[in-house]
Amino acid sequence: MPEKTTLSESGYGFVLKLDDAIPVSDSTGLPPVRYNLSIEPGECVFVECRDDVRAAQFTDFCAGLLPVKKEEEANGKQGSVSCMGLNWAELDERRAQALRGRIGRITGDSGWIDLYEMHLNILWPSLHHSRTPYDKLVAEAVHLSQLFGLPGLPTQLPEKLSPLDRKRSEYVRAFMNRPSLLLLENPVSLGAPVELYNAFFTELTVARERGCAVLWIGSERSAWAGYARPGMQRFRLGGNGLIK
Amino acid sequence: MNFSERFAIINSGLAILGRFSRSQPRFFLIMIGGAWGVLYEMLHPSAWRRTVLIEFRRNLRQLVGSGFFSVVVVAFITGLGLVSQAVYWLGFAGMSQMTGSLLSSVLLREIAPILVGVILLGRSGMLMLTEMGNLTTGGRLKTLSGMGIDPFLAFVVPRTIATTVSGITLGTLFSVIALAMGYVACWMKGIVTVSIWSFIFEVINSMQLVDYVGIPLKFLLSGASVGLCCCLSGMDVTSEDNLTTFLPRGFSRGIMSILVINVLVDIVLGSF
Repeated sequence: MPEKTTLSESGYGFVLKLDDAIPVSDSTGLPPVRYNLSIEPGECVFVECRDDVRAAQFTDFCAGLLPVKKEEEANGKQGSVSCMGLNWAELDERRAQALRGRIGRITGDSGWIDLYEMHLNILWPSLHHSRTPYDKLVAEAVHLSQLFGLPGLPTQLPEKLSPLDRKRSEYVRAFMNRPSLLLLENPVSLGAPVELYNAFFTELTVARERGCAVLWIGSERSAWAGYARPGMQRFRLGGNGLIK
Repeated sequence: MNFSERFAIINSGLAILGRFSRSQPRFFLIMIGGAWGVLYEMLHPSAWRRTVLIEFRRNLRQLVGSGFFSVVVVAFITGLGLVSQAVYWLGFAGMSQMTGSLLSSVLLREIAPILVGVILLGRSGMLMLTEMGNLTTGGRLKTLSGMGIDPFLAFVVPRTIATTVSGITLGTLFSVIALAMGYVACWMKGIVTVSIWSFIFEVINSMQLVDYVGIPLKFLLSGASVGLCCCLSGMDVTSEDNLTTFLPRGFSRGIMSILVINVLVDIVLGSF
C-alpha cells in the first residue's frame, strides 16, 4: 500500500494541540508545568508574554524543538504536542523537519543568514522544503514583497537593509509557500507605519481563510487590539504556564 | 587525614583524569560521526535539495577560485626549488635514473597532498570556520532548525563535498605545475636533456599501482578533512568562545587532521 505523503486540512482536527505537555526546560526558560492549547484551522490565538526568552521557548515547544517530559518524569499522564495531527515525539528527524517546513515563523532575532542576500534568505525555507519551480517562488515572493511595501524582492545583504525593510522581509518569509501554521513572536512593534500593519493584518486574514492557524505571542496586548475579535482565544504565559 | 578526606582527594583526582581523558578524543569522535553523516547524506537523493546545491556551488567556486592562484604560485616555487634541486643533485651524484621515483614518492605522494591541504585550510577553511562559528554563536543555526532546515545538511554536507572535490582538483593542478616547472628550470640550466614527455614518462613509470590509488585518495581525504574539521569546529563553539579562541583551535585541528589523514593512507596502503 503506498505511503500517504500529504496531509489534507480535513484530515486532522487541530493544527496545533498541546495536551498536558510538560516541557523539558531549565528554571530560566519555560516553566515545566502542564500546557493545554488547541488551535483549529483558520483560528487565531493570542498569547501575552512579557519575557522574550520564554516566548521564544514556547514557540520552540510548539514547533517540536523542545522535548516533552516523559511519563515517568511527569508523574502521571504522558503529555504530547501535535502539529497537524502528528505527535512531534513520534516523528523521526526527517519527518519532523518536513513538518516544520509547513510552519511560517517570525522569531525574535529574525535569524537572517548574513552569508546570503535577502532574496535567498526569504526563499531559503521554500527552496529547501518544496519542489515548486524557482520562478514560481520568486513570483510569489515578489508579490508578497510588494504587498508589504517593498519595491520588489530585496537582493542586498540583510545588514544593508533598513530595520523596517528587514521587518517587511520577515513577513514575506513567514507567509511564503502557504504555511499551515504561523508562529509569530512579537510580529507587530508599535511605531511602524500603519500601512505595513494593515498589509500584515490583511495577509493574516487571507492565510486564515485558507485554513492556516495562527499563534500570535506578543509582549503588548495593544499590538493585537486592532485585530482581535470576540471569541478568539487569549492566554497569558507566565511563571505558572498558560492562563486563559 | 581520615578515610573520607583521602577518598575525596582520590575522587577529585580521578575526576580530573577522567575529564582529561574524555576531552581528548571528543573532537576525534565528532569527526568520525560527522564523516559518516556526510557519507550517509550524500548517498540519499532527497538530501540534494536546492539549498544544498546552492551552498555546494557557492563553496566550490570560493574554494577553487580563491585557491587557484595560491596553488599555482606554491606549485611554481616547489617546482623550481624541489624538483630542480632533486634533478640537479641526483645528476651530480650519478643517480639520475632515480629522479622519477624520488619525485613520485616525495613530491606527489607526500608533499603535494599536505601543501594543498594547508592551502585549502588557510584560504577557505578558516573562512568556513569563522562563518560557522558566527552562525552558531549568533543563534542562526537554531533558527534554521526551527524552520525545519538541518544545519548539518544545509552547511556541513555541501561544504565537505566541495572541499573534497576542490582537494583533488587543486592537487592535480599542483602536481602537474610543480613537475612542469621543475623540468623547465632544469632544461633552461641544461641539467636535463631529455624531452618533457620522457621526463613525465620516467615519473609515471616509477609510480606503483598503489600510488594511483593513494595519491588521489590523499587529495580527496585531505580536502574532506579540512572541510569537515572547519565546519564542525565552527559548530562546536560555545558562548564563551570568540575569534581569538576558536580560530587557533580550528587551525591546529585542521593541520592535525591533514597530517593524520596522510599518515593513515600511507599505513593502510602499505607505503609507509
